[in-house]
Amino acid sequence: MAALLELFCWKGSWGLPSVDSDSLVVLAYARFTGAPLKIHKISNPWRSPTGSLPALKTKEEGSFSHPSKIIIHLRKQKYNADYDLSAKEGADTLAFISLLEEKLVPALEYFMSLLLFCPSLSFPLPSSLMTKHPPAKIYTLWIDSKNYVEVTRRWYAENISFPLNFFLPSRMQHQQLERVRLMRGDGALEAGEEAEKELYRDAQECMNLLSQRLSSNKFFFGDSPSSLDAYVFGHLVPLLKIKLPNSRLQQHLKALDNLSNFCTNILSLYFPSEGQEGVSRPASSSQEGSDFDHEPYKRRKQLLSVLVAVAAMLSYALLSGIVAIEHVQEEGPARGAASIGPAQEEEED
Amino acid sequence: MSLAAEAFVSQIAAAEPWPQNATLYQPLREDQILLSDCASSLAVQAYLRMCGLPVRVCCRANAEYMSPSGKVPFIHVGNQVVSELGPIVQFTKAKGHSLSDGLDDVQRAEMKAYMELVNNMLLTAELYIQWCDDTTASEITRQRYSSPYSWPLNHILAYQKQWEVRRKMNAIGWAGKGLEQVYEDVSQCCQALSQRLGTQPFFFNKQPTELDALVFGHLFTILTTRLTTDELSERIKSCSNLLSFCRRIEQTYFEEDKDSQSAGSQYSRGPSLF
Repeated sequence: MAALLELFCWKGSWGLPSVDSDSLVVLAYARFTGAPLKIHKISNPWRSPTGSLPALKTKEEGSFSHPSKIIIHLRKQKYNADYDLSAKEGADTLAFISLLEEKLVPALEYFMSLLLFCPSLSFPLPSSLMTKHPPAKIYTLWIDSKNYVEVTRRWYAENISFPLNFFLPSRMQHQQLERVRLMRGDGALEAGEEAEKELYRDAQECMNLLSQRLSSNKFFFGDSPSSLDAYVFGHLVPLLKIKLPNSRLQQHLKALDNLSNFCTNILSLYFPSEGQEGVSRPASSSQEGSDFDHEPYKRRKQLLSVLVAVAAMLSYALLSGIVAIEHVQEEGPARGAASIGPAQEEEED
Repeated sequence: MSLAAEAFVSQIAAAEPWPQNATLYQPLREDQILLSDCASSLAVQAYLRMCGLPVRVCCRANAEYMSPSGKVPFIHVGNQVVSELGPIVQFTKAKGHSLSDGLDDVQRAEMKAYMELVNNMLLTAELYIQWCDDTTASEITRQRYSSPYSWPLNHILAYQKQWEVRRKMNAIGWAGKGLEQVYEDVSQCCQALSQRLGTQPFFFNKQPTELDALVFGHLFTILTTRLTTDELSERIKSCSNLLSFCRRIEQTYFEEDKDSQSAGSQYSRGPSLF
């Protein structure tokens, strides 16, 4: 029981211990139960023992990767947040987790992508996307074309090495589109108003239901937090905290007072140190990126691309002999002018 | 259904009362229908009976293709066609018949959550067992699914459907689960339902709701269907209150059909829990 447990999870930002929902669920559960975990915050899923994040590494029993498996293992080690739940409450937990995964998680990623791939951060894509992941999460990151072009694909083009960066993002988009289509059972799901509205509607309904279930209690079951609280916290708090440009769902969540208080409560009670670190970080990142206008980056890139184009043209001209620079002492200027002349005529053809 | 179309359908639905000639379409009962489709169809029938709305069951080999969403069952009411339990519940609500009006907010939230649980676990487990377990798929499912068609169409359709379902299982992460794990999940789901039901007659005490209909549809079908093994029905039988729940609903809402067998029993595939 005293074996050292190591948890590998995604890095955090914006005052959160991690930006990935699954990692947050596991971290919250660990804090609730006081499980002694050594936490490694990394940003490369290939460095985790199972190849995906979050991952729990134990001395004797290997590694586990899915949050539910991790929680089951922690329970076996006697770190159980649910031991004083009645059987009915345990059943409710299962039901509400199903509700979350079917209705809410999909749309959440629609927002997560808008910021996870901001160039001012250096986050790789949560690899949980590569495995099981609910529809709208995928929709957000890959299918909404605006997000895909501006955020996701750009991140991949910047961070994956040549030559993969040319075809990997679009291949992944295709894979993810297939997955969403299969999961929702639609014949033809394309990014667009309608699919987006339906996703949001499901997510809003789910949040309303959670809010109704929580009503004015501090936690979902009594006065101490349980695994359901961990799940809800893990999925809602990124939506609440992360600065998003398109924040319809975020506004809806903020309008549900009891849910937002629930999240901030847990954050301040169980993750107080993150809150202090996070305060300084958003300030700097917001100055860097000037909040999603990306003006400095845009101009810099435009300038760079113009320079590259001019350099390319000049070198082509030089190499192919259209323009020749000859170092002749006296007739130099005349010869130089003469050789440029035919080049101009050629180019006009 | 798109949101705009839904709103439109609701408005039209509210205008007319429930007609006498409403029809429910499902695949052929004896030879073709599969476990998951039968469960969904029975759930809808139970729901409509609980609402007191008459509906005639019609079996068609191509029900799946007639359905607007590709899923069975679907109902044809007046000049509208609505498929799957969720939209049907909304449709009947628009016509003024609802079972969950008496619930408060917390209970409604719980009801929706439990319906998601059943869909997430029970329905997916049924699909898995039918299509991803090689024994069941080859001995039972493929033959049944394509029985109305002749060679080579039967092979093509069966394998196409199997491939589609397996892709879906891959997408939601169930492909890596073994059969034992799936049975475990079903047990867990049944225990959760059993805990929630407790000793009450229905899930929300005195009145049945769509959750009762959904649970009845799935559990009754699993209990009365013969698969390659009895493992699945054994797991459900271990929860005695669920068993008596199914019996109670069968007796209350499907009793009259036992007497009118000659007219063609409207729902039962033969065996019952009596």
